[in-house]
Amino acid sequence: MANSHLRRVVITGIGIVSPLGNTPDEFFSNITQGKSGIGLIKADFVDSLDCKIAAQANFDGTQHFTKQQLALMDNVSQFALYSAQQAAIDANLALSDDDLNRTGCYIGTGMGGAKSTEDGYIRLYKENQSRLKPFTVLMAMNSAAGSQIAMHFQLCGPNLTFTTACSSSTIAIGEAYRQIQQGYCDVMFAGGTEALLTFGSIKAWEALRTLAKPDEVDPACSSKPFSKNRTGLVLGEGAAVFVLEELEYAKARGARIYAEITGYGTTNDGAHITQPSVEGQARAMQAALENANLAPEKIDYINAHGTGTLLNDATETAAIKKIFGEYAYKIPVSSTKSMHGHLMGATGAVELVAATLALTNNQLPPTINLAEPDPECDLDYVPNVSRKVDNIQHVMSNSFAFGGTSGVIILSKINDH
Amino acid sequence: MENTFEVVKGMIAKKLEIDPATIQPESTLTDVGLDSLDTFDIIFDAEDKFGIKVPNDQVNVTTIQDVASLFDKLLAEKIASAK
Repeated sequence: MANSHLRRVVITGIGIVSPLGNTPDEFFSNITQGKSGIGLIKADFVDSLDCKIAAQANFDGTQHFTKQQLALMDNVSQFALYSAQQAAIDANLALSDDDLNRTGCYIGTGMGGAKSTEDGYIRLYKENQSRLKPFTVLMAMNSAAGSQIAMHFQLCGPNLTFTTACSSSTIAIGEAYRQIQQGYCDVMFAGGTEALLTFGSIKAWEALRTLAKPDEVDPACSSKPFSKNRTGLVLGEGAAVFVLEELEYAKARGARIYAEITGYGTTNDGAHITQPSVEGQARAMQAALENANLAPEKIDYINAHGTGTLLNDATETAAIKKIFGEYAYKIPVSSTKSMHGHLMGATGAVELVAATLALTNNQLPPTINLAEPDPECDLDYVPNVSRKVDNIQHVMSNSFAFGGTSGVIILSKINDH
Repeated sequence: MENTFEVVKGMIAKKLEIDPATIQPESTLTDVGLDSLDTFDIIFDAEDKFGIKVPNDQVNVTTIQDVASLFDKLLAEKIASAK
């Protein structure tokens, strides 16, 4: 490794709430079957929307939490805490008091408790009530989800919330990796959560004119990354949380290891609030490769940001070519957003679940709805059908964002080093 | 009208999902399992139920009876000011 004095970091637990299942296995099974989690929004306000489709999570908090817990948790916190609970069980974690002092939680979210904020405004401005519910702040604040996880597990290490729009959770995971790598913590809960499918949030996205036009034949097929007929992104909701551990710590307790995080790069475009930059995206991929000390040719699969907007997909394709050169045409690149939609602050974490399980299963999830080739998007996007591959070693997951903050993570099989 | 203590007892028992019989007038809020946040929530609901407004500087209550007495006092003030 490039920095031999730095500690190695591995993934030992995964939890997820998504439009395609609330366990990692169910999620991966669905995405490798090319299933879509996108459909007509089930909500009382749907008739007032221009864009009536989204990827909603199928999650009932009452199945997992007490009434008392639910009274203090927006959906964004419920998704995150349930994911963290799954991840802790999956990792078979049993943390002593000493361990808890060196265990932290980094969570990414774009809009935090959007519904709680909106419910408050409805009371004030629409219903003309004079008072808000006492817990509004505690449910709406962006740091609520991370705080709920820390309280549940009694984590006493650092607890930070990252908000960099669509790259929030990739940044959270990457920064958590560094926290362990540099010796500040031994264990980190890291991931992202988003629950922004509220009337006001969807209206705000509509106004930005970035949402996909619903497919006329089948709304489930509306997210079409890298396809010539793509029209925009489809909003989604959910969460994914990982347990990250220092390698020797994980080995000492006999933990099952999914993969090692070998590279992380983050950069900012330093340019435009929405327009992506080839140079900015390329710099983030380059930074991750340098951090992993890997030649570009070592990457076996890229889980793309692939939002399905005209600009993103062409820009990301150009950025991949800029870094990988001729080899770009040999790397399978897929956008699982074609199936689970764009989960904003949670999307990087959910896609890292896809990348992790692609690596461990040697099976690449497809880009579905890829019907019309676009000359500007001419890579191997694993079109429509998942692909079994021989013992792959290294995978990359890209996240880009409004505001220009990119995050790229590289995962490697642990037996590679 | 129902005794204010009984109303408060019912609200707390419902919120905490506990047996109302365990709540006595002299029980402290902490005894029955209410933290400061829960107390604000109970006050919020009581404001709706009784049509009163509890000023911030009067929320120094220790026992369930303190809560009931506070509401009684504010109810009496409300009735007096309506006359």
